Amino acid sequence: MDITAQDAVQSIINGLCMGGTYVLIGLGLTLILGIMNILQFAHGEVYMVGAFIVYLLCVLNGVNLYLAVVISMIATAVLGLILERVFLRPLKGVFLSYVCVTTGLSLILQTAVMLVFSKGVKQLPSLWGGSFSVGGMFISRERVVAIVIALLLTLALYSFLKWTRYGLAMTASAQHREGALMQGINPNLMSALVVAIGSGLAAVGGALGGSIFNLDPYMGGLAFMKGVTLIVIGGLGSIPGAVVGGLFLGVAESLLALFFGSQMGIILPLVLVIIFLLFRPKGLFGHD
Amino acid sequence: MLLEIKDLRVRYGGAEVLKGISVEVEEGSVVTLLGGNGAGKSTTLRAITGLAPIYGGEIWFDGRRIDGQPPQKIVELGIRHVLEGRALFPYMSVLENLRVGAYLQKDKRRTAETLKDIFLHFPRLKERQDQQARTLSGGEQQMLTIARALMGNPRLLLLDEPSLGLAPMMIREIAKIVKGIHEQGVTVLLVEQNTRLALRVADMCYLLETGSVAACGATRELMESDQVRKAYLGL
Repeated sequence: MDITAQDAVQSIINGLCMGGTYVLIGLGLTLILGIMNILQFAHGEVYMVGAFIVYLLCVLNGVNLYLAVVISMIATAVLGLILERVFLRPLKGVFLSYVCVTTGLSLILQTAVMLVFSKGVKQLPSLWGGSFSVGGMFISRERVVAIVIALLLTLALYSFLKWTRYGLAMTASAQHREGALMQGINPNLMSALVVAIGSGLAAVGGALGGSIFNLDPYMGGLAFMKGVTLIVIGGLGSIPGAVVGGLFLGVAESLLALFFGSQMGIILPLVLVIIFLLFRPKGLFGHD
Repeated sequence: MLLEIKDLRVRYGGAEVLKGISVEVEEGSVVTLLGGNGAGKSTTLRAITGLAPIYGGEIWFDGRRIDGQPPQKIVELGIRHVLEGRALFPYMSVLENLRVGAYLQKDKRRTAETLKDIFLHFPRLKERQDQQARTLSGGEQQMLTIARALMGNPRLLLLDEPSLGLAPMMIREIAKIVKGIHEQGVTVLLVEQNTRLALRVADMCYLLETGSVAACGATRELMESDQVRKAYLGL
């Protein structure tokens, strides 16, 4: 089989696009883990719910796709607030209980969405139909749009954490919990904020994923795994790490699938996790 | 009294770390808690800011009872606690650390004024404002953690072992800083292993021994009592 330059470019674009959805899910995971010390096992399902809210609004009720994504982002952030208050906050500092609770939550959310929407593969309309050509190669518009949206949201999050009062307080809480407490920062406010923001970002990730690939109630499991992989590669709590880790993971998977078949693309994340844990446990950009 | 601790008891697990201590801190004074390891000095400070589990006694600040309140509420009343081990935000810049110190101050103009004032008193921090906190020397880190606390314009400053791990020259510097803070009208409650430093700056002195107050009084009087000098101060 011959692999042309067109195939390779296509594959890199696809990889970046996948990577963008990974970044959006990974950012929330890494921030929640950094600030609350909780690995949110249901974060993949939050991503999935975000995609289904867009489906509900856009496909079933005819709302404009982009408006639907914005509404879903807000609605999912509110869902995050509820999950934080009811399930996560009481478990802060209780070793391992959160594993049971958030795993249970992920099963409940999967089943609930399946009951409401029934099983079977669904799709969202394209973000922007058609393709354009650069130097004789065709590039699909929707994938470029997806990459741009993911990067813009990441940039917005970075600016929030770097330049605003609440953003600085969140960064501080992740770096020294008691030190932050002694500046008068309310830890409950911080955990509510971080879960809400993380959930909203995941919802957009789900919508991008669902408009380019398919959506089904179980899509969150794989996405969660990619998110965890990205944290290991990029380093816990690091935003540049999450971006580089996510995009790298997406492109590597896509190119491996092109050259060696899609099975390799599935194995890769696990191999990467093992390699990083063995040789560089703090990841590319992580702190000790 | 600005701060009044009455019969405070703290337990970690089954162990009673504080067995009913009473401490009074007058507004505008510098009070020091002295004692060996495990005497309960740090625990006393941690109980004041709500970080230690209190199971008996009362703590009053400025006529308000504060024990049982969450830490962020206690800090809001005007108490700042410089924790043992500095508790900086290591991957944030010096300036960002100071900004977080002013988290509760919503008036940006006042924050800018306080910052200017801080940089005037700590020129070293101004020079290094864009450096990550973890890259500072031990002494500079200690200055930053005190400066961060001052960004909150506290009425009462709790200092936990500010001289720990510092070179003698730096310790003298810290003593100067504490005196300076006192002259600005901030009340200070100081915990120190370094008795010389503590006695040089304190008006009042409490000697703790395994969770109880063994002796207390004006620093000058305690220094004159031979028994106290030999038994507790090692002078």
